[in-house]
Amino acid sequence: MSDSAALNHSPEIFDNMTPAEFEERLPDLFGIGNGKVSEDPRFAIFLEKNPDCAALVRDLEIIAETAAKLFEPTEDQDPADSVWINIASKLKGESSSLDEPNSTFE
Amino acid sequence: MSSMILEAQTGMQTKPNPGLFKRNPPIAGEAEAIERAKEGDPDAFSKLYALHKRRVYTLCLRMLGNVSEAEDMTQEAFLHLFRKLGSFRGESAFSTWLHRLTVNLVLMHLRKKGLNLVSLEETINPSEDDAPKRDFGSRDQQLAGSVDRVTLERAVSSLPPGYRMVFVLHDVEGFEHNEIASMLECSTGNSKSQLHKARLKLRELLRNPEQFAVPASGKEGV
Repeated sequence: MSDSAALNHSPEIFDNMTPAEFEERLPDLFGIGNGKVSEDPRFAIFLEKNPDCAALVRDLEIIAETAAKLFEPTEDQDPADSVWINIASKLKGESSSLDEPNSTFE
Repeated sequence: MSSMILEAQTGMQTKPNPGLFKRNPPIAGEAEAIERAKEGDPDAFSKLYALHKRRVYTLCLRMLGNVSEAEDMTQEAFLHLFRKLGSFRGESAFSTWLHRLTVNLVLMHLRKKGLNLVSLEETINPSEDDAPKRDFGSRDQQLAGSVDRVTLERAVSSLPPGYRMVFVLHDVEGFEHNEIASMLECSTGNSKSQLHKARLKLRELLRNPEQFAVPASGKEGV
């Protein structure tokens, strides 16, 4: 189902979904807007009636929110010093072959 | 192929996308270092490496799950950057451009290794055992208000490769489904479906941490 098709229904349709139908649509629903299904008023009644679905949505949102924080690495996630040594060595070779006297990678 | 993928693969830039700067704001001194590095200043290139090595390495490590391969790909990414830097025109955030370049190199590397990413669904879909269980699970076991990043890193590294790839690209790196679909040569729907399965599998893992994969020696990543 496309993004638009996933939500192209009257709100009552969502109120009366079965949990299985909800789960089938969930990949598309998370892909719409800010991805916060729990805050979308169209699903409020359904989620209130289906606490298992509400718990699932909340958990998946927590996972996505925490994942976004992983974008900024921590200080202990540096590559080994040998990586730069190898890069510099190869670039020195390339610079020489390109006849660029100003390039001195050390 | 989206313009952004084309840009990272070929070094050509198309149109600017202001949204890309949201997550990758310019870094102090970066623009000057880029211009100087384009002119062949080795100190400037060294500065670019210092500014971006951690993110590039972490991205490689998360995608590959192996320290030595991640270091090799970090090296390749910066060598490639050196050769392509002249085509960077500042129309997107430099780190976004660099990350795309890195992702494409990693994907090429995986394809060379024989991991066929052309049909994501058929080739790197996990076995039945690895797939998330199709139930809602007990509410009693719901995750706490937050999951700490170390635990999530460990859970991500335990994901099957196909799930891990889409999860890292979308939820960590912030790529859109249409971009991921172009990179992995699959459909947008497939990317959404893989992401959803990845999150379900992570939920399962986080509720049962004993299922985390045990790293083999100190060389396995994250």
